[in-house]
Amino acid sequence: MTQATPAPRRKADRDEVFVEFTKSICPLCKTPVDAQVNIRADKVYLPKRCREHGEFEALVYGDAAEYLSSARFNKPGTIPLSFQTEVKDGCPLDCGLCPEHKQHACLGIIEVNTGCNLDCPICFADSGHQSDGYSITHEQCERMLDAFVASEGEAEVVMFSGGEPTIHKHILDFIDLAQARPIKNVNLNTNGIRLATDKAFVAKLGKRNQVPGRSVNVYLQFDGFDERTHLEIRGRDLRTFKQRALDNCAEAGLTVTLVAAVERGLNEHELGAITEYGIDHPAVRSVAFQPVTHSGRHVEFDPLQRLTNPDVIRLISAQRPGWFQKGDFLPVPCCFPTCRSITYLLVDGEPGNRTVVPIPRLLNVEDYLDYVTNRVMPDAGIREALEKLWSASAFIGTETTEEKLRATAEALDCTDSCGIDLPEAVKQLNDKAFMIIVQDFQDPYTLNVKQLMKCCVEEITPDGRLIPFCAYNSVGYREQVRAQMSGVPVAPVAPNALPLASRLTTTPYGSRTTLTGSEELRP
Amino acid sequence: MTHEEIKSCCADAYSRDIVAMLLGDSYHPGGTALTRRLADRLALAPGMRVLDVASGRGTTALLLADAYRVRADGIDYAPANTALAQGAAQAAGLADRAVFTTGDAEHLPYENAVFNAVVCECALCTFPDKHQAAGEFARVLEPGGRLGITDVTADTDRLPPELRGLSARTACIADARPAEEYAEILAAAGLRVLTLERHDQAMIRMIDQIQARLSLLRITAPARLAEAGMDLDAAPAVLDAARAAVTDGVLGYALLTAVKSPAERPGDLPPGA
Repeated sequence: MTQATPAPRRKADRDEVFVEFTKSICPLCKTPVDAQVNIRADKVYLPKRCREHGEFEALVYGDAAEYLSSARFNKPGTIPLSFQTEVKDGCPLDCGLCPEHKQHACLGIIEVNTGCNLDCPICFADSGHQSDGYSITHEQCERMLDAFVASEGEAEVVMFSGGEPTIHKHILDFIDLAQARPIKNVNLNTNGIRLATDKAFVAKLGKRNQVPGRSVNVYLQFDGFDERTHLEIRGRDLRTFKQRALDNCAEAGLTVTLVAAVERGLNEHELGAITEYGIDHPAVRSVAFQPVTHSGRHVEFDPLQRLTNPDVIRLISAQRPGWFQKGDFLPVPCCFPTCRSITYLLVDGEPGNRTVVPIPRLLNVEDYLDYVTNRVMPDAGIREALEKLWSASAFIGTETTEEKLRATAEALDCTDSCGIDLPEAVKQLNDKAFMIIVQDFQDPYTLNVKQLMKCCVEEITPDGRLIPFCAYNSVGYREQVRAQMSGVPVAPVAPNALPLASRLTTTPYGSRTTLTGSEELRP
Repeated sequence: MTHEEIKSCCADAYSRDIVAMLLGDSYHPGGTALTRRLADRLALAPGMRVLDVASGRGTTALLLADAYRVRADGIDYAPANTALAQGAAQAAGLADRAVFTTGDAEHLPYENAVFNAVVCECALCTFPDKHQAAGEFARVLEPGGRLGITDVTADTDRLPPELRGLSARTACIADARPAEEYAEILAAAGLRVLTLERHDQAMIRMIDQIQARLSLLRITAPARLAEAGMDLDAAPAVLDAARAAVTDGVLGYALLTAVKSPAERPGDLPPGA
């Protein structure tokens, strides 16, 4: 009997392209770990492995070609005037800002409290009706503002957040403290309940929006129109509150950004409607879409099916195809370009019959924001205007943004020849400009130190540090600050991810933490 | 209209008219990404002397001088553009490497064989005597020097009536040729075509841009726009026809490179033989 010849062993190709080696953290113990960035089936994934807790993988960008081509929008960072910490253990353990950080703070966030008049099923801050949280004092607020000014010199925007900042009894004083400093704009991040029910309070905000050289803008949580959306994301049907809050803001002359937390399977079908509603409401000048940050409290999710910026942009375009097409949104150069994409629209006509002109269709914005290949552009003024608009500090309603929108439109001038005085004409454009922001904040699953090191949105802590927002929510800084401020121990938060379900338990605030009983729960 | 009048009209249109406003002086389909692709195809190297024909506000010449470190000469028919481009070169600190002159593409004010490369973006389609212009490109190129062109392509016989009926503003585009005809024109001037690529998506982008700019004018200055002779109601149909023409392959945008044959004498061996 003859022996069959064994089939020759064949080498197989990998099903993915390895594009980067980086660092992340273990989503369970938050220990820094090596990570890779791989492209598979036109999408970008971040796999990593913790020696103790095993392997994890998350989808980080839904369009591989755009992920790679966005590298050219990476603007050289600006060095802040001061750093608050030293380099000791390496990123992301030295926040912040440490001297290794690549960018100054375009936006500073002050969380004034942990308490809230809602208990949303989705809340990265793990806030709610809790008796063991904290509220900051006048002195703490001043120290936080001073730390921001020391780092920035003249700061563009500070955002008051929480918890729910409008229920802090000194919130108006805090706005005054900010306006007394070289901080041009204040943003108030709110669920809108107080704005809907306390017109006197809204009027006081409106008055502060009239201070010369200063503005107050409202950043209003606004996730959609379906009752289910409200119940699943906020735990309560707030539709009439939102409407009343917006009408009160319009009456008080306040500019509003609608901010939608977008979760797969919950409200991803409402993005076009939110945009159109915003365009139609007189108080609203911008919409921000944020895929839910899977940090703090949130519904169970699949890290491989989460929403990323390109997914959100595709949904917006698919839901309003007459208004948007591919290429209308562009990455923001000040932070890492894959973190945030923006477009500006010029809007005309009546509700239901709108002319919508995305600014990137008027001129080749991507040529001006290309910092790697186009170092010289014939008109430096246009680049300067566009980079102020494509920035994390750009909020419609601020003087800087209005001025740069004007400068951009003026760049299209042809006064001498065709007899149309465009600059004069665009002076009336201000209330026709509308901004859409898509921002994917990082969480313990998606954190990439490469992006984190250039983050330009910072949480200002009561002890005067500036901690990158995504480090604050992912690495454990939020829990540390809350424990220090409240004197109550806070469990390290773990993402409520499907693959981790058997290893998690619920914290007193509703978020998840790693099961005790093993040595997994380390300080 | 004489050729001189047409050239002057086109240069005028591109420097002052509403077309400049709608298309943008420094704009051509494909933007700087396509310019870089063209430069890469030409294998530009530091120190080379490069001519940009119809240089507009200097975007292409400045990019080449900066990113490819060549010595760039720009020539444009409109004095206003020359001044703007020169100013931009100074502002960018590139005045020693980028020089701009006013002149005629069909009578280039340069000696024979002085350039290592010649580029011409979105302009050959506007030149009334394309053979004459191509002959001039060949004349100023050194033997073995390369020409790079990006331009509107049009199969004029198949253009829909909406596009043929456009007034003098876009008559420039109506004189565009199929890509193969550009190649023949170059070949007739002794320029052997090396690459011919289609970039029709860039044309769609330009049409979108014209539409967006018309909408902007409609928002900001409808009365003045009508005074300037723009028929706003007709515009969408024309732009839709243009998009359809691109889809049908009648209208498009192409990138061509060609090489000037080394000085040929009977009996010369091809290089490398």
